[in-house]
Amino acid sequence: MKNSAKAALLGLTFALTGVLGMTAFADDKVYRTLDEIKEDGTINIGVFSDKSPFGYVDENGDYAGYDVYFGNQLAKDLGVDLNYVSTEAANRVEYLTTGKVDVILANFTVTPERAEQVDFALPYMNVALGVVSPEDAPITSLDQIGSDDQVIVISGTTAETYLVKNNPEIKLQKYDTYAEAKTAFENGSGVAWANDNTEVIAFAAENPGYVVGIPSLGSNDTIAPAVTKGNDTLLSAINDEIVSLGKDNFFHKDYEETLLDTYGKDYEDTLVVEGGQIAEASTEAETEAATEAE
Amino acid sequence: MQSLGIDVLFKGSNFLRLLGGLWVSVRISLISVILSIALGLVAGVLMTSKNIVLKAVFRVYLEIVRIMPQMVLLFIVYFGTSRIFGWNIEAEASAIIVFVFWGVAEMGDLVRGALISIPKIQYESAEALGLSKSQTYLYVILPQTVRRLIPLSINLVTRMIKTTSLVLMIGIVEVLKVGQQIIEANRTTSPNAAFGVFLVVFLLYFLICWPISRFAGYLEKRWAA
Amino acid sequence: MKEYLPLYRDALFLTMRIGWEGILLAFVIGLVCVLILHFRIFVLKQITSFYIELFRNTPLLVQLFFIYFGLPKLGLKISPALCGMLGLGLLGGAYMAETFRSGLENIPQIQFESAESLGMSRMQTFRYVILPQAVSSSVPGLVANVIFLLKETSVFSTVSLMDLMFTAKDLIGMYGRTVESLTLLVVFYLIMLLPVSILGSFVERRMRHAEFGN
Repeated sequence: MKNSAKAALLGLTFALTGVLGMTAFADDKVYRTLDEIKEDGTINIGVFSDKSPFGYVDENGDYAGYDVYFGNQLAKDLGVDLNYVSTEAANRVEYLTTGKVDVILANFTVTPERAEQVDFALPYMNVALGVVSPEDAPITSLDQIGSDDQVIVISGTTAETYLVKNNPEIKLQKYDTYAEAKTAFENGSGVAWANDNTEVIAFAAENPGYVVGIPSLGSNDTIAPAVTKGNDTLLSAINDEIVSLGKDNFFHKDYEETLLDTYGKDYEDTLVVEGGQIAEASTEAETEAATEAE
Repeated sequence: MQSLGIDVLFKGSNFLRLLGGLWVSVRISLISVILSIALGLVAGVLMTSKNIVLKAVFRVYLEIVRIMPQMVLLFIVYFGTSRIFGWNIEAEASAIIVFVFWGVAEMGDLVRGALISIPKIQYESAEALGLSKSQTYLYVILPQTVRRLIPLSINLVTRMIKTTSLVLMIGIVEVLKVGQQIIEANRTTSPNAAFGVFLVVFLLYFLICWPISRFAGYLEKRWAA
Repeated sequence: MKEYLPLYRDALFLTMRIGWEGILLAFVIGLVCVLILHFRIFVLKQITSFYIELFRNTPLLVQLFFIYFGLPKLGLKISPALCGMLGLGLLGGAYMAETFRSGLENIPQIQFESAESLGMSRMQTFRYVILPQAVSSSVPGLVANVIFLLKETSVFSTVSLMDLMFTAKDLIGMYGRTVESLTLLVVFYLIMLLPVSILGSFVERRMRHAEFGN
C-alpha cells in the first residue's frame, strides 16, 4: 500500500510538472509576424465550427458565418491562403498563447481578463443580452428569479460571463451547445434563457408561447478579433483592415449576407460595428463615440 | 410530432462528412492500438524486471495513466509542448501520442500479467533445451502472450474509439464534432435535428464497435489457451 | 486561482456523489445481468445480451443525450442528477456484467463438477462455491471499472451537471487561465481517484485467494 502512495505522489509530481510546465515559455516568440505569415502563404484562423450564424460549417463542408465572412476577406486582402481551425470556447486563449493559430475570430467578447492574455483588435460586433421566458411565466426583471429557479445559459457565452459576474446569486444551468440549451428550455428545465438579445428575440419570434421579458441587459459588450500578445505587426494589419473595410460598409454587408435571415433587418445597425468605431445608435442618427483602439 | 430531422443528413455532403469524422476516430484508434501493442510488448517485458528503479517508474506511469484525465494529457502534448519547448506537434499526432501513452500502459500491464501467468515450467524447459533467454522470449513466451493479448487489445480499440471524441478539444474534427456542426448549422431550419443526428452517430459508433468486439470474442474463444 | 477552489470543491462533491451512485447502480445491474446470463433465463438472456452489447459499444455522451433530452419529449421529465446516475449506471452495468462474466469463466469447470458431486444444488453451488471465487477474481477488473466510470463523469456537461471537467472548461472559457484551471483539475481528480486506486490495490491483494496453481 505504501508503494501505491509513493507511486501516486511521484505521479502527481510528474503530472503537475507537465501542467505547470505549460507556464514556462520557449525562448523565441510563439506568434508569427505578418511577414512570416505572408511568407508561409497561409494564415491560421481559429473560428467556431458549430455556432451558427457566426461560425459554422455548411452542407458543403465550407466554413461560413459572420466571423468567417470577415476571415475570408482578411485572408484575401493579406494575400494568403486560409486555414480554419475549429476551436472551442475553452481553448481560444490557449490557441493564441501557443501560436497555434494567428487570429481568433470565434465570436470572442472583449473582457479585461482576456485582454490580459491576448491582444484584441478593433471590434466588429456589438453584443447586448436578453432574457426569454415562457409567456405564462414571464421574467421581466432579474429580481423575479427565485433562489431555487435556474436560468439557462450556454457555456462560453457573453450572457454567462455577465450573469456570473453581476448576478452571482442566480443559479445558472449551463449547456455546451445551443441545441441542448434550447431543448432544455423547451422542456421547462429553467425559468428563463439568457443569451444575446438578437438570439432570444429571434427565438421568441419563431416559437410561439415565449416572450422576451428582458430585451436588454447590462451595457454593451463588443466582439473583436484577437491575436497573440505582442503580435503587433498582425494586430495593426487587422486594425488597418477593419478601418479600411469600414469605408465600404463591409460589416453591414457581412450582416446582410450572414445574419439577416436569422435576426432580420432591425438589429443591423445596433449589432454591426463598422470601421472599429462604436457608435451610440439612436433611432435617427449615429453619434460618433471614441474609437476603441487597443 | 416534428420530424427527427434525419433529413439534414441528406443535405449536401453532410453524411459523407459524418463518415469522414468517423474515419478520423477509427484511424487514430487503429494507429494507436497497433503502436500500443508493439510498444506494450516491450513495456510488459520490462515491467517484469526486478530492478527497483524500473518498477517504481512503471508504477508511477500506470498511476498517471489511470488518474490523469485524458483531456489534460491532450492539452499538455498539443499546447504544452508548444509553450515549453516551442515544438509544433500536430493535432492528430498529439492525439496518437496520448492514446499510445494510454495504450502502452494497459498493454504493458496485460503483458506483464500474461508473462507472470505462464507456467514456470515453460521457462525451465526452454532452458533445458539450451535456448538463450532472448530466444526463449522470442519463440516460446511471446507468441503465447500475443495470443492472449489480441482479444484484449481489440477490446481496447473500441474503448479508444469511444474516447476519441475528446480530440475535438485540440481542433480535430471527428464524428461527434461533425454531428454537432450539422445540428447547429441547421438549427433554424430543422430544430429537432439533434435527435436524428445523434441517433445516426449512436448507430455509427455501434456499427463500428460491435463487430470489433464480436471479433475479439471469437478470437478469445478460438485461442482459449 | 483561489476563487476557483470553492467551485472545484462543489464539483468534486457533485462528481463523487453522482459518480458513486452510478457505480452502485452499475454493480447491481451488472450482478443481475450476470445471474441472468449464467442461469440462462429464457428471453431475459437475449435482452440482457443486447443491453450489454448496446451500452458497451456506444459512448456515454450520446446515451446521456437521449435520456435527458429525449425522455421529456415522451412526457417523462428527469432531473440532471438522476439522469447522470442513470446513464452512468446503465453504461457501468454493461461493463460490470462483462467483468463478472469473465471472472466467472475463469473458474475451472471442476469446481462446478465437484460441488455437484457433493450433492449441492445449482443455487447452492453458485452461492457458496462459485460466487466468492468469481468476485475475488473479478476484483482487478472491478477496480478498473470504478476508476473508468468516475472518469466518465467528464461528459456530464451534456446534462448541465457541473462536474470537475465542465467546471474547468467553463472557467477556462470565461477567463482564459488555462494552466491554473487545469492544474486544479488534475489535483481534484487526484483527490477523487487516488484513494480509490490505493484502496483498490489493497483489496486486490487481499482477495487474491482465488488464484492457485501459479
